Amino acid sequence: MSILKDLFKAIKGGVSEVGESVVDANLVRILEQDIRDDSNAINKAKQSLTQLKGTEIGLKRKIDSLATDIADYEAKTVEALEAGKEELAIQVAEKIADLESEKDMLFTEHTALAKEVVQLNKMIKTRSSNLEKGKRELEKIKTVEQLQKTTASINKNFASTKSSGNRVADSLARAKKKQQEWKDNQKAGDWMEEEESSSDLDKKLSEEGIGGKKTSANDIIERLKNKNKS
Amino acid sequence: MQNNLQELSLILNEMSTDEGTTFEAVFVDDEILEVTCSNNDEFSIHVVMTKKQILTVTPLFSADEVPTGKVNELNSLLLRVSPAVPLSSVGLQDNNYILFGAMSVNTTIENIAHELEVQAENTIDVLETISPLLK
Repeated sequence: MSILKDLFKAIKGGVSEVGESVVDANLVRILEQDIRDDSNAINKAKQSLTQLKGTEIGLKRKIDSLATDIADYEAKTVEALEAGKEELAIQVAEKIADLESEKDMLFTEHTALAKEVVQLNKMIKTRSSNLEKGKRELEKIKTVEQLQKTTASINKNFASTKSSGNRVADSLARAKKKQQEWKDNQKAGDWMEEEESSSDLDKKLSEEGIGGKKTSANDIIERLKNKNKS
Repeated sequence: MQNNLQELSLILNEMSTDEGTTFEAVFVDDEILEVTCSNNDEFSIHVVMTKKQILTVTPLFSADEVPTGKVNELNSLLLRVSPAVPLSSVGLQDNNYILFGAMSVNTTIENIAHELEVQAENTIDVLETISPLLK
């Protein structure tokens, strides 16, 4: 991992001077390779961890079953002794000794395995943290790289307008003017909308016969009829 | 990466924000999208992408446009202005002063559009603040 650490130092140095030079393509390749290596190592470690865990579980089961057998034979030894069958008891005791030595062997194996599992887990953790760090560093490089691509296009922009002394001031004035126009247009739009909605209201009111009532021909005939009557 | 920019350009060209801003997105290069926002069509925004980020760059002015005696004053003013500017920050890239925004590639299109329109507006604000110090 110290190689990675050294690499990071080199990259950091590169980034600070990046204004002058494009990020070293080799450095990116090395970093990308390291990221791939880390992620492969993690995958492999996870695979062997699964296998080890499987073996560990198997061993534990064997040890447990041996312990049951031993307890069983111990009870039988006591029974044989109580029955006065000492020779048989010795035979059973010998069997117990065999089983116990087998159990001890498996137990040693199990302990070693458990240690290996712990170590693998630790390794995965370290590699993962390295991987994340590597990815972050790479993202920094990629960011700088992408930004640099805009530089050429930006420089072109500036070069074409450099002749005019007050480029920024002129553009700013134009942008502000357009902004103001846009605001004015929006205001005009609001005013129009309000006008329309208020004339809509007048129309609705007159339709409902509220407010300024329009005189119809029928109203006039009616009025004239009434006038004649009186 | 490029495909995403392509997609972004297609959507941006069709959309309009709540504030009524529209966009004109044109590729100046395979990997650079130049976006002009209707709320400020004088200063366009260069959009590039990495695996993780969308970067938005508005070139403000070249260092050559700053009078020699004013560089320190301008830099200090820009550093003080930058935290007050919403969503964008001020930076120096190569020889150019830029307004800069960065967001995750998982940002929704609405938020990308909002970032762009705010950056376009910020450009006017920042330039107005510092323009007395330029040539």
